[in-house]
Order: sequence, then structure tokens, then C-alpha cells
Amino acid sequence: MSAASSQTSDAIRRAEIDRSLRHPVMFFFTSGAAWLAVAILLGIISSAKTHSPDFLSGCAFLTYGRVQPAHMNALIYGWGCQAAFGSLVWLMARLSRQECRAAGLILTAGHVWNFSLALGIIGILSGNSTGIPWMEMPKFAWVPMLLAYAAIAIWSMVQFKVRPSGHVFISQWYILAALIWFPWVFATAHIFVHGFSGSPLMAAAINAWYRSALLFLFFLPAGIAAAYYLIPKVTGRPVYSYTLSLLGFWSLAIIAPWAGMQKLAGAPIPNFLPYLGAAATILVAIPCIAVAVNLLKTAAGAPETVVNSPSLRFTVAGLFGLLVTGFAATFLNVPSFLPLSQFSLSQYGFDVLALYGFFSFVAFGMIYFVVPRVTRREWLSSRLIKMHFFLSIYGVMTIALVAIFGGLMQGQAQEDFKQPWENAMTYANPYAVATTLSWCLLLFSNVWFFVHLALMWLRLGRRSSHPTLLGHAHHDDLHDATHGPEGDIDNGGPGSASAAHAHSH
Amino acid sequence: MIDPSKPDLEESVNVTEAHERVVRGAAAASRESKLKENGAEPISLWVLILCAVPLLAAGWTLGKAGTLFSYKDITREDYVRVIPSDGESAKLPPTDYLTASIKKGQKIFAKCAGCHGADGKGDGANYPPLAGSEFVNGPHERFAMVILNGLTGPTSSGKTFGVMPSQAAGLNGEDLSHVMNYVRHSFGNSAADVVTKQMGTAALEISGKRAKAGASVTADELNADHKKNLPGDPIDPKMMVDPITLEPAEAK
Repeated sequence: MSAASSQTSDAIRRAEIDRSLRHPVMFFFTSGAAWLAVAILLGIISSAKTHSPDFLSGCAFLTYGRVQPAHMNALIYGWGCQAAFGSLVWLMARLSRQECRAAGLILTAGHVWNFSLALGIIGILSGNSTGIPWMEMPKFAWVPMLLAYAAIAIWSMVQFKVRPSGHVFISQWYILAALIWFPWVFATAHIFVHGFSGSPLMAAAINAWYRSALLFLFFLPAGIAAAYYLIPKVTGRPVYSYTLSLLGFWSLAIIAPWAGMQKLAGAPIPNFLPYLGAAATILVAIPCIAVAVNLLKTAAGAPETVVNSPSLRFTVAGLFGLLVTGFAATFLNVPSFLPLSQFSLSQYGFDVLALYGFFSFVAFGMIYFVVPRVTRREWLSSRLIKMHFFLSIYGVMTIALVAIFGGLMQGQAQEDFKQPWENAMTYANPYAVATTLSWCLLLFSNVWFFVHLALMWLRLGRRSSHPTLLGHAHHDDLHDATHGPEGDIDNGGPGSASAAHAHSH
Repeated sequence: MIDPSKPDLEESVNVTEAHERVVRGAAAASRESKLKENGAEPISLWVLILCAVPLLAAGWTLGKAGTLFSYKDITREDYVRVIPSDGESAKLPPTDYLTASIKKGQKIFAKCAGCHGADGKGDGANYPPLAGSEFVNGPHERFAMVILNGLTGPTSSGKTFGVMPSQAAGLNGEDLSHVMNYVRHSFGNSAADVVTKQMGTAALEISGKRAKAGASVTADELNADHKKNLPGDPIDPKMMVDPITLEPAEAK
């Protein structure tokens, strides 16, 4: 077989894998983006209520105690999990070089997930929340979600098992870890909290562990897997250091399961549990640093590509978010700040930072990379992408900074017990207003992102073989030039379009 | 042939050529040492230093955990709030003696308010008013006797109300002094002096030594035997005391 023909068959294989997963992947991405818009809308309402309690106070189902959990659940299970599923499923198929043979099952499972989630969110808004953070959805929601997850994940594990022998990509370590850790974390927490009638105090401790484990053992590896794929792939450079990637993976695997119980510091559980949790959360900074440095060093070798590629821009921004997450994990959990961060805005700020500042950015990068390949269309507008990028950056930076530092101010005021309680709220007020405004920015950018994505799914994207590039906006001629000529629908690499078509007919 | 003992003096050595050889060798060596496989960059020192920061922070946190893996320690002491070192938080700000005593007396008066009313006006038929009463506002031994023994017959106003039972049960001298101070400085009453704990204790003794001990007092007996102040050292009503213990305290 000549080099050219092996290249062609390679391109055909990629195109086949992409086609086999088109519907589930697009379903996860689009419905994830829709949930993201819903989550942000709920986030605006709940944040507005912290500084203007009378806002929408007429509706019982829009009270803070319902909107805030609905906001977090929609963000985590609606957007986060579905974006993660879409990219994990696609990545595993591509990296194992296997077509997906269960697209219909995955798609059905995706619908089950969505349906249970929608019922769960309605349950929360109608006042039937369980009141357990991040597990607020009524009990009927989580069993179908777990089953749906199993149906989604199992085929990726099979693909890994039957992959052509040889090298295991770094991304595959993380995908496999995320796929295995998610059911462990999700099932353990839900069974222990909802299934057994144990001590409510231990249920609170398990819940605290669950919130941190979901972040560190699912969203972190899922995002890192995508970043480890995208950056070497788009820049065409090998990963900077294999040693660093080993350090990053194993330190995460060893440290992250211990984290989380610092949320219960001061509660009547054995003293070492919260402090061990705080120390482990601090140590999560090490995998964050290892992964971010490794990938940023890789990307630094191709600065032009980073500027021009939408996927890379988002991914690199997400890696900076990962560094900041590591810094915040360290900063918020040292003994002097622990009492201040516990009952204030900063916990929320940290969750948003990890979920949005890191994971969502990488997921956006992944979506901008994957969607043109599975739909065989290019993105309609580089301006919409740029707008999405900048508004997201400003929005999430403001939320994270404001919630973390405003939360510390609030915590400081709460500790000063000689002052009336209202003082603490007064301190937090300007920060809460800023949070609302940033969610508004994010809502604006993400509604357009959803529209853009939906148009792509309808296959209304540009028929062009040239990737969407983000040239500098002030070069008018370049803006057109970056799109390349229209009419060529070949996305699968040189010489692959006709071959792929011939094969499929 | 080069003599190794004096190479520099040999005319046959071409220095330029030797230099070139060294430079070539160095270049090759430096290429060699820089030659790394893709993806095999070693972890640089600054990354390790950066990782040491969370390690140190985590150690600090663990150090604060007290005895690790001990189920005996439930929470770290003083975790919930920082107690200021001046000890101010442990005590309420001092107030003057009269205010503190009145505040305590108000709680004890709850028992009396059942008949005499929370406003001390009585009902005009069965329960006499305490506001403006001479027995209340006059010399305080009379008032103490009424409280401790009860009263039959006409009151200081000459009008006869129902029989007042003794309130001595469970009342110690200190509480007696507080409730007297409360009544004598409320409902429009404004006695000039304060009743002290010492005086209240003395009242219990006097009450026990009455000729008709145990029976209710009458207006005649009060005016004959008890129309005087209780024995005891007077106290400055403006003296600053701790509102809980009523021990003298320095004003801040």
C-alpha cells in the first residue's frame, strides 16, 4: 500500500467514524448548549435575588431556594455532563479508530438522560427538591440517569478494549478515568444519600465529597482529555513532556478522591476529615499545574495557530482557567481562609471557575473542532465565534474573581460578630450585582452559540473545506479570506471527500 | 610528531585547525545534548517549584488538623469564630447598678403582673394599683413586708381590695431587692434610693421575727412597726456593674 493510499484510507476511516457518531454527538452538544442557556437564565434570576430580593418575588417557583439549585443542576447535568458525554464518546471512537456501532442506543440514552433531567428540574422548581446540594432533583430522576449513563459509556469502553494494539494516547487515559469515575462517584453518593437511611450528618459529608468528586473526578479528566487531544492535534506538535503528563494523571488519580469534606469544617464530624479534604483540595493544584503547563508549552510552539483556531483559543483559555482553578483551590483552603470561604459566595465562585472557566471552555473548543467534522460543514460565522469567546472570557473572569474575593469579604464580615448580620450582606451586595451582569453577558453569548450550533445541525453551515479561522477583525479582506472558497465540502483532509462518498454509496 | 610536553612550541601544530576541531566537537556535543525525543522534555525546575507551593500549603492545612485520624477530636477549637484577645466578647458591657437591678426585677415581676397588671395599675376592684402607692414609694421596709407576708385590710390609700397572699416562697433577698427596685422605678414611680441585696436579706430576717409571723400584715402594723428603711449600706445607683453578676466593673 502506498503512502498516499494509506493516507486516503485513513481519511476514509476518520470520516466513517465521524458519520457513525453524527447524531448522538450533535444531540449532546445541541441539547447541552440549550441547557446551558437555561442554566444561565436561572443563574441570572438567582443571582439577581441575592441583591434585589423582590425581583420576581410573585412566583413561588422562582424563589431563590428553587432557582439556585435548578441553576446548578441545569449547568452540571444539562450542559456539563452532556457536553462531556458528546466529546468523550467522539474522542474515544476517534482515538480507538473504531466506528460506533451503537449510535442509536447512545442517542436513545441521551434522550432518557434529557427527559429525566427535565423532569428533575421541573421537580426542583415545583418545590420537590431534596435540598441536598447538587443532588436536589427528586429521587425518581437519578436511577434513569445512571442507566442512561451506562448505555452511553459502555460502548466507549468496548471500543477501547478492541482498539488496534499499540500506543494508548494520554487523552485515552483521561477518558477512561472519567468514564469509570463518573458512575462510581454518582452511584456512591446517590445510593448512600438517597438509598440508605444512615446518619444525616454522614449524608452531608458524602454530599460534600460528591460535589468535589464530580468536579475533580469527572469534569476535570473529561476536559483534560479533550485538551490533550485538541492541542497537539491542531498545532501539529507532540505533547511537550510525557513525564509531566504522567505526573498530572497519577497525581489527580491519587489526590482527587480525598478532596471535598472541607466543606464541613467545623461540623461535628471527626476533625481529620475536613482537614484532610482541605489538604487534598489544595494538592489538586499539582495536576492542574502539570496539565496546564504541559499543554500551554505545547501550544506555545504554534502561537499563530492558537490565535487563528477557534478550538485552540477556547482550549488555551480553558487551560489558563485550569491554572486559576488550581490557584483558587490552594488559596481558598489554607487554614486562614477556610472559615471565610465556607458560608459565602466563594464556594460558588470556585465551582463556576472549575465548571465554566476550565471545563466549559475546553468543551467549547471541542465543539468548535468536532461539529464541522461530524456535520461536514464549516462554521457559518467567525464573528459569532469571536463574540462568544470574548463575552465568555469577560463573563467568567468577572464571576470567578468577584465570587471568590467578594465571598472572602463576606466571610470576613460574617466572622466579625460584633457587627450586625446585615453588614455581611452589604459587603456582598456589589459583588452580587457584578455576578448578575456577567451572567447576562454569558447568556447573550451562549444564546448565539446555541443558534449557531443548531444551524450547523440543520446542515446550514458553509460548504467549505477550509476551517473557520479567526483572523484579525480589522483586516476586512482577511475576514473573507479566512473562510476560503465556497462550494468544496471536503472536510476530511486531502483527497478524502470523493473516496468517502464512493465508499458510502 | 608532536612532543606532548611542549605542544605550544611546535611549529607543526596548526592552531587554527585545532581550534576548528574543538569548535566542531563542541557543536556536535551541544547538538547531542539538546537532542530530545518528541514529548520527552524533562520537568523544568520552575514547574517543580510551582508544585511545591500547594505542597507546602497542604502541609500547613494538615498541621492545623490536630491529631490526624483521631475520632475523638470532633472539631478544632475556636474554629467557628475568632474570639478577640481582649476578652471583651465574654462579658456584656457594664451598666449602672440601678438599670441592671431593674432589668432583673422586671423578670421577677412577671409573677406579680398576673394581678397588678404589666403596667402596675391593678384593676381598681380586687387588685390595687402599684403606681403612686405610698406603701410602694415610701420607706422600703413596709413595701418589703407587704411582699413577703401579704396584706389584708385597707391599703395605703385607705381603700380595701382583695387579700394579697404572701409572695415569700422561693424569693431570696437579692431577688426581693431587684423586684422592689423595678416597682419603685416603674409605672411612674420614682423612688429616690435603691434597695440593695444586703437590704433584701435583712428584710427576710425582719419578716421572720415579726410578732405575728406567718400572718398577713395590716396597714396598722406596717405603719406602727415598719415605717422605716431597711437596714444596710446605701449604694450609688450610678455605680457601674456587670449586668449579669452585678459585681462592680470598670466602664469602658
